[in-house]
Amino acid sequence: MYLLGNLKLTGNDRKMKQESQFAPPLPYLDVADPGFSIRSAAVAAAREASWVARTNYGLAVLRYDDVQKMLRHPKLRQGSYRWPALNDVTGDFARWWESMLLSQEGDNHARLRRMANPAFSPKLITSLAPKFTELANMLIDDFAPKGKCDFIAEFTEPYATGVICELLGLPFERWRELADIAGDMGLALGVTFKKDLPTIEAATQRLFSYVEDLVAFRRANPKDDFIGMLINANEDKSQLSDQELMDMIVLAIFGGIDTTRNQLGLAMSTFIEHPDQWALLAEKPELARAAVEEVMRVRPTVTWVTREATEDFTYNDTLIEKGTTLHLFSQSATSDPRVFEDPSFDITAERKPHFGFGGGTHHCLGHFIARGDMTEALKLLAQRVKNPRFDGEVEWLPDSGNTGAIRMPIAFDPA
Amino acid sequence: MKVHVNIDICLLHGQCVIAAPEIFSFDDNGDLVWVAEIDDSQVADAEAASDACPEQAIIIG
Repeated sequence: MYLLGNLKLTGNDRKMKQESQFAPPLPYLDVADPGFSIRSAAVAAAREASWVARTNYGLAVLRYDDVQKMLRHPKLRQGSYRWPALNDVTGDFARWWESMLLSQEGDNHARLRRMANPAFSPKLITSLAPKFTELANMLIDDFAPKGKCDFIAEFTEPYATGVICELLGLPFERWRELADIAGDMGLALGVTFKKDLPTIEAATQRLFSYVEDLVAFRRANPKDDFIGMLINANEDKSQLSDQELMDMIVLAIFGGIDTTRNQLGLAMSTFIEHPDQWALLAEKPELARAAVEEVMRVRPTVTWVTREATEDFTYNDTLIEKGTTLHLFSQSATSDPRVFEDPSFDITAERKPHFGFGGGTHHCLGHFIARGDMTEALKLLAQRVKNPRFDGEVEWLPDSGNTGAIRMPIAFDPA
Repeated sequence: MKVHVNIDICLLHGQCVIAAPEIFSFDDNGDLVWVAEIDDSQVADAEAASDACPEQAIIIG
């Protein structure tokens, strides 16, 4: 047996065991370094050398087929519940993160998921498409005459937040407050979690206090929507406890804002680097849905999906010990040359599914909304924001964890 | 009512198994199995499963 930290290579016969004793060590990726890039040559080289690399947190799975299998492997559970512990962090964010829907398994998870599903159904989301278009047009109207904007502050933040306000029946006038909170809380999902903890804790407390007020208001002014349904369910505490009620609303607000804001910014930067594709989208707006999928394939905000081994098991002749954290590298998998012969950005290409929404039991609950609102946004932006280019320095979150731009000054030709 | 799953686009996420465990389940090989003919009392569950499917692979009718 060949031991590497909490990982052992095993062979079925003596010959393999002998060979494995002299096997080259697995590649190592220092993913906790804020300078580390998930899109670096080092990751591509590691992917060529092995299906798996060692990291600061455990293992990184790098190839398409293995990521697809690991997403719903029966010996793995959702693993990011341990993200605060891996960063040696406790507090209000950690308490919420470790107990909300994404961190639950089994019956508890199924109960909460069944409860939340109807609010995110495709039918409901399709009916919201005109609202998405109206919101996008209103935001573009504000900055279009200038021919420039900070694409994050002036479009992706108010847009992602506005969609959530629409879905949850929250007052849009207070969008900036929610966007700021979501942005600050989002720092927890990057590799600088511990350093940013005071900011994250303050934002978490503000959001819980916002949600407390909201629930009190809604109890006094009932409404037949997602929050109304949760409040009704909460009347029977065994169906939905007070804490679960709060945790679920916090998840809906935070989860919806931070990811879409980042993903739309990544879409714009990708198109700025591929101006011919932007022109093509303007010409053929029916490609907008495919454009969303293609952006999420080459530049997902969720750069890894986390799993944890619930027992010892062997995969690809590698023994993975119980408790090992596995990060499934989404971007590395969906640019794997074994599956994507030409992985370059092309919104007209037929592609295998990406992993930008995770997969399996914990597949992103809000993906119909995210897909729907980003489709409508890209369709309109391509029509009205011609020849976009960077107009100053783009400020980025670290490239691993949940990534995206914090500030993105762009100039364009209004149309 | 009939339940049809387009296995070509199904990615085995298992959201249908969560939404309607009486109708959908995984067998020992990890393959999806389902009740192909349902009665009226199961239609709402089947529709919830169809709505929850990320790949929209389930057709009821």
